Amino acid sequence: MAAVSATSVCFRALLKPAFKTNETSYLNVASLGMARNRFPALRTSRFRVSCAAKLETVNKVCEIVRKQLALPPETDLTPESKFSSLGADSLDTVEIVMGLEEEFGISVEEESSQNITTVQEAADLIEKLVQKKEA
Amino acid sequence: MNPLLRSAMIPMNTLCFQRNFAACSRALVPVQLPSRSETHLWYVVPDEVKSASLLGQYSKILSPCEKEYISCVRGERLKKTALLARVLVRTTIARYQTNGQVDPSSLKFRKNIHGKPELEWDENDHGSPPPIHFNISHTASLIACGVTVNSPIGIDLEEKDRKIKNNIVSFARRYFTAHEVEMLSSIPDPETQRQHFIKLWTLKEAYVKALGKGFSALPFSTFTIRSRNSSRNCQSRDLSDSSSSDAEIVVESVDGSSSLMNSWQFTLLELAGTHFAAICVESDGSIGGRVFTPRKVTARKTIPFVEDEFHPGTDAVVLGGL
Repeated sequence: MAAVSATSVCFRALLKPAFKTNETSYLNVASLGMARNRFPALRTSRFRVSCAAKLETVNKVCEIVRKQLALPPETDLTPESKFSSLGADSLDTVEIVMGLEEEFGISVEEESSQNITTVQEAADLIEKLVQKKEA
Repeated sequence: MNPLLRSAMIPMNTLCFQRNFAACSRALVPVQLPSRSETHLWYVVPDEVKSASLLGQYSKILSPCEKEYISCVRGERLKKTALLARVLVRTTIARYQTNGQVDPSSLKFRKNIHGKPELEWDENDHGSPPPIHFNISHTASLIACGVTVNSPIGIDLEEKDRKIKNNIVSFARRYFTAHEVEMLSSIPDPETQRQHFIKLWTLKEAYVKALGKGFSALPFSTFTIRSRNSSRNCQSRDLSDSSSSDAEIVVESVDGSSSLMNSWQFTLLELAGTHFAAICVESDGSIGGRVFTPRKVTARKTIPFVEDEFHPGTDAVVLGGL
């Protein structure tokens, strides 16, 4: 019983955002109940939930990036903006990550920092970590 | 074939090379490879490169991939830095003409699994590969390329005046080791502390880049970089060299397993008066015993194809210890 409810809770939590994915194999695993409350697919970087992170999150990330890189107001900053294309070096990226950690109360492992190359990727990771924290 | 050409016996690749750069006053000045205990450091000051036609010439030597990357960079200043960085690498390596005259645009590069650029060499076309190792770093106002022979190298630059947005000790607690936090916390003057932080960051970056790994693959909290006073050995030390102290910069693993780490040599410099530069090189172990012999660094300022400058003792000042 416990296993069933745990599975359904996790499943629901993942459906909460607008859920667009081509990874149907993940859904099959979940419906078989094999995954319990562990969804290996979540851990692989191959499986990317391409749902839109909350706009609020994206905006906060943009604000932190703008401040760190001292971007002039006219610089166009979109979710797809690559930090390196905006002139961020490795120290800037780490400072940005630290700013995000403080803002959202999360902890980003150093190993993940290579996956944060755009505003969108940062926002997606934040959402994932915040959800994990609240789960 | 043009009879003039045949009689002049000019190799075709040289002609092509010179034709592309007819507008420049000189070709690349060739140099000898550094010795095994030496590092060459070439640097460009982007603000001193102003000619639009020169920048146009530079674009021509890039690969299609490199041109594409630069087209994605936002803003003219950043595009120029990205262009100059690629040009510096290509022209620097081409100077070391180990296999006859090398056209910088013919060089091929690849990245290792962590993204570190390496020279890709086709032995069938060009004979055995040159034993060159290189690494590049840049800020908005300086671009540098370090070159060694037979030793992996990592370099990092930071502007001396760079401001840290986060609290320095908080940052160090989050990303550095306990020893380094203690060291930074013990510095009472904020400005000195900030400078020490920058130097430490460049050294740590240079180390992970020399290893070919980068920040994500080798978190900064797993190793400490610090100064170690080496014992005085009057016979081998250059006592007339008053600019370096007894301090040697060393790296140690946090878990105490430091046996492999004695092979990494660090040099910390002030470059062009505006930057701290850290160089990390794997020593080949032929430097005997535990006598600390600072590695020789030869720094040259360049505007590729236009001019090279060498001001020993002024443009690159080695800072003894951290």
